[in-house]
Parts: sequence; C-alpha cells; structure tokens
Amino acid sequence: MIQVHEVRKHFGAVQALGGVSFTAQDGQITALLGPNGAGKTTLLRLLVGLLKRDHGSIAVDGVDPAVHPIAVRANIGFLTDQFGLYERLSTREYLTYFGELHGMGKPALAARIDEVSTLLQMDDILERRSKGFSQGQRIKVAMARTLLHRPRHLLLDEPSRGLDVMSTRALRVALAALRDDGCCVIMATHVMQEVSHLCDDVIVIAKGFTVAQGSPQQLCERTGIASLEDAFVSLVGTDEGMLA
Amino acid sequence: MKPRFLIVFLKEFRETLRDRRSLGLLALFTFIYPVMLGYMLNQQIERATRPEREGIALSVIGAAKAPTLMAMLKQKNVTITDLPPTTDEQIEALLHGRKIAAVLRLSDNFTADYAAMRPARIELWYNSASDLDARRRDIDEILQVYSSNIAGARLLAHGVSPTTMAPIKLQRYDTGSTAARSAGVIGSILGFLFFPAFICCVSAAVDSTAGERERRSLEVLMSQPAHAWELIVGKWLAAGALSVIGITLELALAHAILIWLPLEEIGMSWRVTSGDLALVCLVSMPLCMFAAGLQIAIAMNAKSFKEAQSTLSFISLVPMVPGVVVSMLDLKTATWMYLVPMLSNQTLLREISKGESVGSLPFVLTFASSAIAALAAVAFASWRMKSERYVLAV
Repeated sequence: MIQVHEVRKHFGAVQALGGVSFTAQDGQITALLGPNGAGKTTLLRLLVGLLKRDHGSIAVDGVDPAVHPIAVRANIGFLTDQFGLYERLSTREYLTYFGELHGMGKPALAARIDEVSTLLQMDDILERRSKGFSQGQRIKVAMARTLLHRPRHLLLDEPSRGLDVMSTRALRVALAALRDDGCCVIMATHVMQEVSHLCDDVIVIAKGFTVAQGSPQQLCERTGIASLEDAFVSLVGTDEGMLA
Repeated sequence: MKPRFLIVFLKEFRETLRDRRSLGLLALFTFIYPVMLGYMLNQQIERATRPEREGIALSVIGAAKAPTLMAMLKQKNVTITDLPPTTDEQIEALLHGRKIAAVLRLSDNFTADYAAMRPARIELWYNSASDLDARRRDIDEILQVYSSNIAGARLLAHGVSPTTMAPIKLQRYDTGSTAARSAGVIGSILGFLFFPAFICCVSAAVDSTAGERERRSLEVLMSQPAHAWELIVGKWLAAGALSVIGITLELALAHAILIWLPLEEIGMSWRVTSGDLALVCLVSMPLCMFAAGLQIAIAMNAKSFKEAQSTLSFISLVPMVPGVVVSMLDLKTATWMYLVPMLSNQTLLREISKGESVGSLPFVLTFASSAIAALAAVAFASWRMKSERYVLAV
C-alpha cells in the first residue's frame, strides 16, 4: 500500500507539487492521470526516494522512501519513461544484472527470467543484444526488468506506449495477474480506454495538486459526464493537457 | 550475495570488453607506444654510433675539370662518384633518394674561367630536409678551404702574403656531448610512459557515466536498491582496471625494449631490474585508479558522450603539467615531488633508472598520494550522484 499525504515539492521558484494526497491499495491498479507537466514524474521519483519532498508524508508499506530509500526500492518495480537498456548486453544478461542488484541468487534468477519472459512473450529476444530492438521489444525488456524481483509495488510510467495490439493485451493480462497476486500498481497513462478497462482507482493530478480520486465510474458520476475522457478534461479544468 | 559494487563492476567490465573503441585505445597505447619509443631510441643510437666522416658520398658532374679539388675531397674521406651530364630534375631525384649528401656540378667553362682567373662556377645541390645535410656542411667547408688555398697560391705568385686574406683565425669548440643531449631525451620519455594511465580508462569512464546518461539508462540504475557510492565504485573499478592492465603491459613492454637496446651508446641508462619494475607497476596502480576516479567525477556531469570526451581530453593533459614544469625549470629531485600524482611516478622511475637506490619512502609516498586523490575523486562523485540537482538533470 502506498500512502501519500499533502506532499509538496518545489525546485527553486518552480512549484512542481503543491499538495498531493492519495492512497493506492494493494490488489488494485491505480491510474495516475494528469496532463503533461502535472508533476507525475516528480511524484514517482519521490516515491522511490530519488528526490526528497519539502512537506508531507509518504509511506510505502509503512516505510518512508526519504529515510530508507534502499528498503523501499527493493520492494518497488519502477518503469520510468526511459527504457534504460544496454546495447552491448543481451536481454538475459541485462535482466541478470538488475536481478543481482536486487540480491537475487543465480538459480532463482534464471528461473524467474524464464518466467517473466513467458509472461511477456519475449522468448525470441532473450538471447539477443538490445541493439536494433523495436520500441515494443524495448518496453518488454524494461517491463521484464520491472517485474523481475517480484516487487509488491509497481510504478509504471506509460507502460503500453509503443506496444502493438497483441503486446498490449499481453501486458494487460500480466497486470491483471499482478493485481490478483495482491500487488499495488500505480500506472501513469494517457490512454483512457486502458484506464476504464483495467484500473480500479484513478488519481487525477493537475498543476501539482490532486484534484480527484475514485473509481472511473465515481469520477464520471461526480462530474456528471458519461465519458471518462470528458470527465478528466472537466476535472483538470482545461483541455490543454490533452492537446499537449 | 555478491556486493553490489562488484555486480556493477562485472557488468561494466564485460560491456567494455565488448566495446571496440575502449579496446582499441588500450591496444594502441600498450603496444604501439613502447614500440614507437624503441624505434626512436634505436634510430638515435644508430646515428650516434655511425662513425664520423664515414665516407661522405658525393656525386660530381664534370669531375675531370678540377683534379686538385677531387684529390682534396678524396683526402678528406669523401667518396666521389662521377656522373655524366645530368638535368636538374635528375639531380633532384638523386638527392631525394637520400643516399648521397650532395651533388657538385662544375660549369662547362670551368677550366677556361679557372685558367683566366675568373670566378669558376661550381654548383652545390643538396637537400636540406634530409638528415645527411650535416655532411653537406662538411663539403661546404672543404670547398671553402680549397678556394682559399688557391687564392693564397695566386696571391703568393703576385708577391703578396696569403695571410692578408685571413685577418682573423677562427677556432671552434663544441662542448655538447651525446650524453648531455640524451639526458633530456630520457626525461621526456619517462614522462610519457605514464600518460596512458589517463588514456586507457577514458572510454570506459565516459561510457559508463555520460554515455549512460545520454542513453537515458542512468535513472533506471539509480532507482535500484543500491547506494550511489556502490554504483560509482563499480564503474570506477571497471574503468580503473583497464588503466591498470594498460599501464602494466606497457611498462613491461617498454622495460623489455629498454633493456634490449644498447642505451649506453647514447649516454642513457636503464638500470631497472624486473623486481624494481614490478614495484613501480604496483605503486602506479593508484595513479590509474586516480585517473579513472577523476574522469568519472568529471564525465558524470556532462550531458553527452561528446561533451565529456572533449572536456576530458583537456583534463587528461593537466597531470602532465607538473612534470613538464619541473623539467623546464630543471629542478633537482626533491621529496615533495613524490607527493604529486603522476610527477611522483615519473620521478620515481627516473631515479631508479639511474641505478640509484631510492629507499622505500618514495614508493610509499607515490602510492599514497595517488590513492588519496583517487578516493577523494570517488567520494566527490558519489556525493554528486546523490545530490538532488544531479537526479533532476539525469
């Protein structure tokens, strides 16, 4: 479970987060919606302890990432907006590297690599070096890295971008399986269809503030608008985010 | 469980071994540099041991017109080859072959002019770009002497003392010895022997920091459950290992070459035993690690591979400065020199090569000064990576 309360963060004169509060439950997929520049990346970086907040509290299963970043990261799978592949390593070597950084032993790691590879349907690229991988292949490798150490929490920044229909479906199946396992999944996305299909809970942030939290249905009811996309635009207060 | 810095080290090292650019630099500096050095020294030795005036080769066109001059040249150990009348181009081609020092061409009416006491024209063709040019000056001198001898004889025939022609008598003394010339050479050679410490690791240091940042994989790495210092230390060890390997191979190869060359011929000495060399390699390891640490601390702040590379190509020259300054000011070896990384290694090797026993203090100081500098660089890099400003810039 991830609890965020009144978190603020500013860089110099720029206020990135002015007051963000939400709770992401275990066994749920929570969507993080917000226009570009709303502070999503800053929020995710705060959650893994890469940045320190100015105000408020954050607890990841009761642990504060600002105090114990290593303990929190060991229990988080973080898919950033960059894939972070190494062109001179094969997919298996790449996954082994990150698995070892998470303290996984050799036999367990090998078994787990095969497991995530099957889950994400990426057996064909397991022994290949990542040079020349397609966008879809890259994101699969990054996703495999995120899931590798069986984290209880997943922070995913637009996980389905660049994926074809089949891969998107595979990803949805994987995420649903993780939810059923009791994982706490936070997913930043711009795809409304994905949110209505997959997510149990939605957090809407705009200009550094949480403006709403609830199930997709609740958000529609609250705004009195039937389509989630229109509800989102109405909550954010402008349609500039959707154009950007 | 493996320590995390070791995991990072193994991964970076494996990646580097797959990088042709890193390996290319390593090979270039470990093999080509000592071989080049050996070749240069060998040339110098050959030049020094070549007997003076060992037959200056001279080609003459129209030699029969001046038998006295030819006799005098032969007397001065000049080997003369007769040439048939030749065009200017042919003479040029001949001189570019660099087998003969010069070509003399006596003009067609040489005999007539000579008999009539008009200046008789002799052309001296030479190639000042050739290293045989010194020999040409000898021929020049002989011609001058010949000319004044004839002038003296003619004056005498007119009843004038030839000494009227010589108001001064010049005597030359050259105090420069081959040994003194070579002393400077070995200093600069030893200075450059340690330069590869800063070159062999540069590619790995840049690739694992600025390169990783440019490829946008650094944020992912920094979000793993590893401390900043563990990441930095792993990358540092991987880059440093390349330099250690490079420097050790290079010193060993240079050592083998310097032992093999008859350096005493040019007044140089290389009285370094293999044991000494092993010790020098050992105390040079911290220098390699300092090079890697410094480069990582600088390269991690660059936004791209290119930016880091251009900054580092300048920074890598800085450690050479103390050595250059010391040799320019001609300072005597002092203990403080062992406290300056790079200068300490150069000084240590120079002193040992003279065959002097230096005691253990210089070894300890050389090791410690670089080791402390290396740790400082790594500490700075770790602190920097942890800082929020760095995270934001990644």
